[in-house]
Amino acid sequence: MLNLRSLVRAGTILVLCVYTAFAAGPFVWAATLSLRTTSEIALDHFALPGILHWEKFPAAWYGSNYHVYFGNSLFVVLTAVAVVTVAGAMAAHCFARYRFRLNRVVYFAIFSTIIFPPQITILALYQILVQYGLYNSLVGLALVYVAIQLPLTVYILESFFARIPSDLFDAARMDGYSEWEIFWRVSLPIAFPAIATTVILNTILLWNEFLYAVVLITDDNNRTLPLGIQRFMGDQLEDVGMIATGLMIAIVPVILVYAFFSEKLIQGMTAGAVK
Amino acid sequence: MQPPSPPHHPGERQPWGAITAFLLPALLLYAGFTCYPVLRTWWNSFHKVLPRRPDEFLGLANYEALLLQDDIFWRAVKNTLTWASISPLVEVSLGLLLALALYAKIPGARLFRIAWFTPVLMSYVVVGILWVWIYNFDWGAANAILRAVGLKSLAHAWLGDPKVALPSLVFITSWMWTGFNMVVLLAALHSLPSEVLEAAELDNCGWGRKLVFVIVPLVKPTILNLIVLSFIGKMKIFDLVWITTKGGPLWATETVSTYLYKRAFEWTSFDLGYPSTIATVWFVIVLGSVLLLSWAFRQRQKLEY
Amino acid sequence: MAVVTLEGLSKRYDSGSAQAVDGVTLTVADGEFMVLLGPSGCGKSTTLRMVAGLESITSGALAIDGARMNDVPAKDRDIAMVFQSYALYPHMDVMGNLAFGLRRRAVPKAEIERRVRDVAATLGLADLLARKPYQLSGGQRQRVALGRAIVRDPKVFLFDEPLSNLDAALRVSMRGELIRLHQRLKATMIYVTHDQVEAMTMGSRICIMNRGRVVQIGAPLDVYRRPANTFVAGFLGNPPMNLLPARVAAAQEGLEVGALALPLERAAHLPPGMPVTFGVRAEDVAEVPHPRAAGGGIRLAAEVATVEPLGAETILGLQIQGSERDVMARVGRDSRARRGDRIEAWLDPAAVQLFDAATGDVIPA
Ligand SMILES: Nc1ncnc2c1ncn2[C@@H]1O[C@H](COP(=O)(O)OP(=O)(O)OP(=O)(O)O)[C@@H](O)[C@H]1O
Ligand SMILES: [Mg+2]
Repeated sequence: MLNLRSLVRAGTILVLCVYTAFAAGPFVWAATLSLRTTSEIALDHFALPGILHWEKFPAAWYGSNYHVYFGNSLFVVLTAVAVVTVAGAMAAHCFARYRFRLNRVVYFAIFSTIIFPPQITILALYQILVQYGLYNSLVGLALVYVAIQLPLTVYILESFFARIPSDLFDAARMDGYSEWEIFWRVSLPIAFPAIATTVILNTILLWNEFLYAVVLITDDNNRTLPLGIQRFMGDQLEDVGMIATGLMIAIVPVILVYAFFSEKLIQGMTAGAVK
Repeated sequence: MQPPSPPHHPGERQPWGAITAFLLPALLLYAGFTCYPVLRTWWNSFHKVLPRRPDEFLGLANYEALLLQDDIFWRAVKNTLTWASISPLVEVSLGLLLALALYAKIPGARLFRIAWFTPVLMSYVVVGILWVWIYNFDWGAANAILRAVGLKSLAHAWLGDPKVALPSLVFITSWMWTGFNMVVLLAALHSLPSEVLEAAELDNCGWGRKLVFVIVPLVKPTILNLIVLSFIGKMKIFDLVWITTKGGPLWATETVSTYLYKRAFEWTSFDLGYPSTIATVWFVIVLGSVLLLSWAFRQRQKLEY
Repeated sequence: MAVVTLEGLSKRYDSGSAQAVDGVTLTVADGEFMVLLGPSGCGKSTTLRMVAGLESITSGALAIDGARMNDVPAKDRDIAMVFQSYALYPHMDVMGNLAFGLRRRAVPKAEIERRVRDVAATLGLADLLARKPYQLSGGQRQRVALGRAIVRDPKVFLFDEPLSNLDAALRVSMRGELIRLHQRLKATMIYVTHDQVEAMTMGSRICIMNRGRVVQIGAPLDVYRRPANTFVAGFLGNPPMNLLPARVAAAQEGLEVGALALPLERAAHLPPGMPVTFGVRAEDVAEVPHPRAAGGGIRLAAEVATVEPLGAETILGLQIQGSERDVMARVGRDSRARRGDRIEAWLDPAAVQLFDAATGDVIPA
């Protein structure tokens, strides 16, 4: 009986290990490719790197306009995340704190757009941005990003704000703070864990965003990283080693964020799904 | 009694100033970048919309052409729906099994969890490129493994063969999202009251019965949420297809998103009206199926409790 | 220096619903400790929150020192409030919590520091200034909440059931602390509770509320001894006053309680046949022999139905022939009565209260 049990256990662990190799394998493989030259790779695609070709990173970074793409992504994502956090937190605070007619209606109207497919807005957004001179501009893209992440942000933050006891706000009011100050000095600091979660979640989702970027940006100098990688791949079709280096440059920031904030991020991504 | 007071309106003393101020940024963004575009798309769908030309009203012509004559569109709808109905089942059931394995206190759980979560962090662009290589006929890992285990005859040009291209892509998304589902389900399992599972332990249930009769019903809300989430995700899929196959070969992997993009920006017609019709019809399909899905789940829920 | 005047204060939360507070008129004198007492949902908190400025006033007038406050925002009323949940800011340490209210009021930094330390010292919080609320015990949190009100040195203090989250022993000691605090600060305080003991021991006066209305206002013992109506009589006291349905006897001077005839001079002024409620407190019912019984009074035959020995005293439930309800009697701790004993009970006629059965209001002696 005991033997059977440990056999089952060993089997489970084995299956888990195989699955782990399967899940993480492609990433590890890409990491090895990024440190090898294409001619080395052509000899054996699955060998471990012999000489570590770190010089490929600066080569990809400067040689293929990567520093521009990276900077663009950084600008768009940071701007969008900052704006969506503040605007979303303000709205969430309002929905959670004030009882007013239409409160739930407006909240639901914003929240329900989570299920909208992007197709329904993307063509019109293209027209609108063209019309207002925001097409092919990082600011325009950032604004669109704010709008698409708004429902999720409001949803996560509202459920957190709603759990702050209202006595706290009343106490702050009696202490002489205005509604605006209460938001900044009571709501936001208390909700810091939830804010951090949305910031990390939004950062990763937007860092990887492709569809809106490909529709709304054309100019090479305004490309974000995912667009840059796509172009890079088109340019260097056969240069597997170089592309792999490019991929790693795009992944590393995300992996870093994940390494530092994995618990928060998992919380955020699970927040919506677990009740 | 007191002198008659003016009629009271509930909410008259609500700090409307503050409420407006707090909501304004979000509402402006919502109105400008969600509501208005939706309405404009809908309006476009009845017109021929050419750059620098006044829109030309077509009535229902676009809808007629799309619904009655456009075979590629229906192909794309079929592909997307297939994708959106298979993926959730695969991802969620595999995720549940893995979560259970980790829940049963396997050593190294933390490491497993981190490894399984990595694919979700990569963008579809990165994932797409990686898998183009993995599926490469000559030197890709998929064929290399098949050849290594002596199944040379099964080696394929995975993304080049219309018969296997779509399943190959579905496989990629399952690879990507199973870990995510697992982590979410694990969180749900951990939030279960431990007494319930201990009670099942006392009742001397085997693992299988415990799974079916105790665990699954308890995490059901989470499972249903994940299914809807995965479904919605696949209904919008674009990036992965765009990077790997661009909808080919022979429309085998065409999704509604890629088709819409092609009609809007790659066909030389320059007309945004017809793609807007696609968007509108698709919007209705997505909304309808999500509502249907949640309704069906709610019915099930009612029947069982 | 603050007199708080409530003049027909009313509150209706939603246009369809009933009045949560219905025409409360009350004057809290300067330096008074006014207790609002009443059953759950009677509108105590709502009244307090209207005074605080946290809830809008539907109708009526609120004044502090004669100045109308209806439309003055909470922060400008110079009122501090202590909440049942303490409402400490979880992200600030004790120092920050105590200072938060002063920072807004243009008090110089050094002055803030001095006042916070003063208050912390008097409340025994001096060593806890660097802690976060989650690192404090319930009693310590309560004291921080109190300190936060005190540092502001407001005109009026409001308390909404501040002790109800504490355990019994702590509640007794905090009660004493609050009484001392009031004596020291001599500030006007309004204190909401549904705990009678708190109300009786702390209040300069008690305002009893029911269903949004004021039922009776008075010094604790006055209210206890001379309840204005059957609601107060039945609400205050443990056990509450014995209330028996009765009618004024037609034939002789007295009352008919069920089949029982009670001689009572006071009933002579009342129209014969009038339905009344007969009320007497348990401590005014005794077991014969009893020193108070020697001077005359009403004597009744009774059977002991229940015995509750409480240690310091014993409560007997007496079944009186002809009466449907048991009469509670507070007797000495050395009573030997057992269940089923037949005893003679004595009532103090001077302590009897009569209430109009139709309105419930007391009939003045
Ligand atoms: N925000 C609100 N909206 C609508 N009705 C309310 C609200 N707050 C209180 N009420 C209602 O007003 C009435 C009085 O409530 P209040 O909180 O003043 O009672 P209370 O005397 O403080 O009771 P407790 O001793 O339980 O705290 C109750 O019937 C309650 O249901
Ligand atoms: Mg209350």
